[in-house]
Amino acid sequence: MSNKHLSLLEILINDASFVNWAKNQNQNDVAFWKKWIAEHPDKIDTVYNAKAIVLGIQFNPVQIPENKINRELNDILAQIEPGETAPLKPNKKTSILTYLGIAAAVVLIVTFVNRFSAEDSTIVTHKTVYGEIIDLKLPDGTSVVLNGNSEISYDKSAPRNINLKGEAYFKVKAIPSTQAKFWVNTKDLKVEVYGTQFSVNTRNEKTGVLLDEGSIQLLLGNGSTRKMIPGEMVSYSDDDKEVTHKKVTQDLSYSLWREGTYVFNNTSVYEVMRNVEHAYGLKTEFIDEELKNQKLSGGIPNQNLKICLSAIEKSTGTRIVVKDKRLLIFKN
Amino acid sequence: MNTSSEKSLWNLFVEGDKNAFSSLFKTYYSPLYSYGLKISSDQCTTEDCLQNFFIYLHKNRRNLSEINNVKSYLFVSFRRAILKNLKQERRFGSYDEIFESNHLFAFSPEELKIEQEISNTKNTALAVLLNSLSTRQREVVYLKYYSELSIKDTAEVMNISYQSVLNTLQKAFSKLRNEIVEQEISAVFQKN
Repeated sequence: MSNKHLSLLEILINDASFVNWAKNQNQNDVAFWKKWIAEHPDKIDTVYNAKAIVLGIQFNPVQIPENKINRELNDILAQIEPGETAPLKPNKKTSILTYLGIAAAVVLIVTFVNRFSAEDSTIVTHKTVYGEIIDLKLPDGTSVVLNGNSEISYDKSAPRNINLKGEAYFKVKAIPSTQAKFWVNTKDLKVEVYGTQFSVNTRNEKTGVLLDEGSIQLLLGNGSTRKMIPGEMVSYSDDDKEVTHKKVTQDLSYSLWREGTYVFNNTSVYEVMRNVEHAYGLKTEFIDEELKNQKLSGGIPNQNLKICLSAIEKSTGTRIVVKDKRLLIFKN
Repeated sequence: MNTSSEKSLWNLFVEGDKNAFSSLFKTYYSPLYSYGLKISSDQCTTEDCLQNFFIYLHKNRRNLSEINNVKSYLFVSFRRAILKNLKQERRFGSYDEIFESNHLFAFSPEELKIEQEISNTKNTALAVLLNSLSTRQREVVYLKYYSELSIKDTAEVMNISYQSVLNTLQKAFSKLRNEIVEQEISAVFQKN
């Protein structure tokens, strides 16, 4: 971008605290901007223009049915390679992994149907099998993307108090009218949130939280609390009581899962593959031992195993072969 | 999906990975279809155009220009494709004629959430208000809030400047605000 002076409007709409004021979230920000506006009455027009742009219009995007999309896709695949007869048909070996989308949708429907028919049970559970990723909307409007081999549960009477095992990405809906908090409980800690976006990972005997937006408070198993701001990562294990609280930088090694993508920073291939093992239920075998310590930084898409492995192969210059329930890694 | 991972997916696609292609297709079919439908108002045209678009992408994947952002690239290219198609099909003389025909970007109440942050206006009334905006204002509102593009990407898709998008948004909301206030005032008078 050029070195032009940013207009006040541009500054406001890109300022996170202003956005909070506009949406009436975070009382500190609301108070700050109320005061600022009172002190700058000549700017009121710009402020209200900025507020309108920030709030915008809320739409219900129309979603084309999955089977229609698949039909169109098969049509195209047939035209691209007229020689190949079978398009992406699930076969016994790669069923769930190839049609992740459909399988996940079915599981989701089944889960909800079960919930409705079990009248006396008040606990709602959502579980994914290896390799499955589901997108959920909780009763309060919060959206959760759950990675493979993970589980969330909550009591119907407290739908903003969630228990998590595994990996999930949360987009918590703020409830300005009641200022109701949202909690995520893992075996190591409790995350307290107002309205924001963050990742929680409970694999590897500890819980890691990485905050994207907003502000959250953690209540650790040892009784202490940690306040987090965006761009920070906290990891804590109740077994060894070790706490790490860092600002995310280029050198910091971390791996997290955000909405269907693995984000690795300075992570060893060994650690990368551990994440894949957890989510897909496979075991890694390093045919070339030196690959274990090679570092990977970047985003790895995770819609299904094939895509995930292809991306890892490309980023690390390796070959990964799936044999029985093992992932064999070679130098390429 | 974040941008760096999408770029990685895109690169896989360019190299011929069918899974990556399918994944991109499944992710973008609905958003591009909705966008195309808003421009052409015709389901068949949109479907055909979208099919041809993806086939074209696949055939020419190695020759496509360098991509910074997959989403805005797809929107820009598809917009070009569908406008070109409209021009040929309906034998419009120019792109200006297409935009003047005013059927573009018509909003319906069902597409609007009932709870709006900006006001308590009912979605039926809000749809009418939105449709009273200019075509350009409607497209900007559509791309920014329906398709969830950033202001920068909206500018890129419509081939206008960042400042232009900001100005258009301001004008649109100013118009909406005035209309809403006027309606509320007349509602008060009507009650008496």
